[in-house]
Amino acid sequence: MTLSKKVVLLGHFGVGKTSLFRRFVDNEFSEEYKVTLGVQIKKKVVTLPDGRELSMIMWDTEGHSDSVEDTRKSYLLGSHSFIYVFDLTREETYKNLNKDLEYLRSNYKKVLIKVLGNKLDLVNEKNTTARLKELEIPFDVLTSAKTNKNVQDFLTNLAEEITV
Amino acid sequence: MENYIEQLQFHQKTQVIKISQDGVILETDTSLFNWKKGNSIYEAHPFFEILRSFTEEPGEQSALNFPCIHLENDITDDERICDVSIVFQGKEITIILYDYTEKYNELNQFAQQKNESILLSKKLELKNKYLLEKEEFKNSFIANINHEIRTPLTSILGFIEVLEKTKLTFEQEELSRIIKRESKHLNALIDDMLDISKIESGTLKVVEERFSFGELIDGFKESYQKVAEENGIIFETQIDDAIQEYLIGDRTRVFQILNNVLNNAFKFTEEGKVSFSISKNYQRTNKLSLTFKIEDSGFGIQEENIPHLFDRFTRFDTDKQITGTGLGLAIVKNLVDLLNGEIKVSSTPEKGTTFIIKLPFKFEVTKKAATERKKKKYKLPAGKKKFRILVVEDEEITQYLVMKILISQGTFFVDIAINGEEAINYIERRTYDLVIMDLNVSKHDGFQTTHMIRNNYGDKYISEVPIIGFSGKADEHARDKCLRSGMDDFIAKPFEQEELLYKITKQIAKKAAD
Repeated sequence: MTLSKKVVLLGHFGVGKTSLFRRFVDNEFSEEYKVTLGVQIKKKVVTLPDGRELSMIMWDTEGHSDSVEDTRKSYLLGSHSFIYVFDLTREETYKNLNKDLEYLRSNYKKVLIKVLGNKLDLVNEKNTTARLKELEIPFDVLTSAKTNKNVQDFLTNLAEEITV
Repeated sequence: MENYIEQLQFHQKTQVIKISQDGVILETDTSLFNWKKGNSIYEAHPFFEILRSFTEEPGEQSALNFPCIHLENDITDDERICDVSIVFQGKEITIILYDYTEKYNELNQFAQQKNESILLSKKLELKNKYLLEKEEFKNSFIANINHEIRTPLTSILGFIEVLEKTKLTFEQEELSRIIKRESKHLNALIDDMLDISKIESGTLKVVEERFSFGELIDGFKESYQKVAEENGIIFETQIDDAIQEYLIGDRTRVFQILNNVLNNAFKFTEEGKVSFSISKNYQRTNKLSLTFKIEDSGFGIQEENIPHLFDRFTRFDTDKQITGTGLGLAIVKNLVDLLNGEIKVSSTPEKGTTFIIKLPFKFEVTKKAATERKKKKYKLPAGKKKFRILVVEDEEITQYLVMKILISQGTFFVDIAINGEEAINYIERRTYDLVIMDLNVSKHDGFQTTHMIRNNYGDKYISEVPIIGFSGKADEHARDKCLRSGMDDFIAKPFEQEELLYKITKQIAKKAAD
């Protein structure tokens, strides 16, 4: 039987959730910014190292403008993982990150949370990493949906982690 | 409930689907999607996978609402944006899709515009920040590379001066003259690069200072008369006597403008003459405007080239023996603009070129303005035979050069410290008449070391010792920074032997007079 896990992309508007969603599912990228209203859902089937198949049901949600608490609660129901995406070029997309993570951790205790800084192609990685450390911003990976840097590896690792 | 669902089934924007607990479609209409009875709802769209978590682990929920769900029909490629209600009734589950595609698409347009404008302003902000960072990097790169080039150049020019004072054969003299000329050219090139970079970044500041206009012009007369004699051409000057001896303006930049244009006139004139005239354009209260006319009988410039004369890296001559960077006139034009002046050029090929430059100045209206200040001459105090100088410098060649120049005078003892810490050790052990302090030494830089000397000691032989800053970063800020940090003077690398000795003598003499 195919395993099925729900993964929800969260974060401010314009951080690149839809671009990552398209990279994850179809390995495509477009420069055009198209706002997401509500939620788009697609399935990505991943083969795990043990040969099993995992259906990752990816939910690309509408970006919030202030806090993750603004995201509709029904979208988060039954989730196995949250990918909190922020934009490395816009500090306002991660200044409330710690508060948002605290909210998610206390309300969705069983959900695996990953933090991803996107748009790596627009910044200097070394300086940005230092700046994030200075601001005490936790993150799991820095990616570029545009260049595909770290995107597929992140997805593979996530697939393994949520099936453990 | 039954009635409500029946009513909805007739609404064209609604679809009602009944499924079993294992996801098999039991009943459905096809108002929105052509899903078939008997098929699995999980195959219809991945959204419905959400049902697995409720059917596998049944909870207490009786109804759930999911607004604004994008549902695509893979076969027709049709996308609808629906609000989805899921109602749990015993072993049956009813799904109701409300199609609000039009309403959501309208909302989408507003959201798109709003978000786009915010993202655009952030993008512009980021671009601006990036450009500023790039500019900062470029400036610091140029400043650093300038320092790196000037340091060996200081040694080359300094050692040539030392070499020229030794007994040389005619051939050796000629070779040393070529090395000196080329080194000076390289130095001028670095100056040009720095100026262009400052002009571009807007960091070139106009300085208003009182200076001897007569002395400035006499300098041109003297040096270009020599060039004229060497080249076998005539140099004529005509200066309006009514021009004040002392003017207020940016002496350095005025010198640079006139020197560049005069230099070009001589460079491109093989026979005939170069004439240089200065006249008063107008004078009101404490302001005046001067017209500088530099006319040569040289190669001239083709008419079509004149509009490009002030572009960067422009050279029209094909004669490779005439050296130049192609930056000189671009700098002249920028400097004239910066000083609120104007520059015009007219030329006839094979007959010559005329540059007319108008520059504004101020002058002092008091009587003392006409007299005063020539470069004061200083002598080392008579009471002492030898003076002890500490040179704080980490570059071995510069150490050697300064030592060679000073020791050859026969009036100086020299100690060398290679960093700030060592300088402090020397200062504590010996009394010095003067310190030459490189600004970029390690373990306490020149500024920190000066601060320690000035503030940490009660002994005035230490705390009041004259200090001359020494650096390859030859901009106006370096001098100001040195004076503000407690140093008494500043020497830019590469330096001339005469300047080094003049400044050392001046500071020692001033200290002795105090």
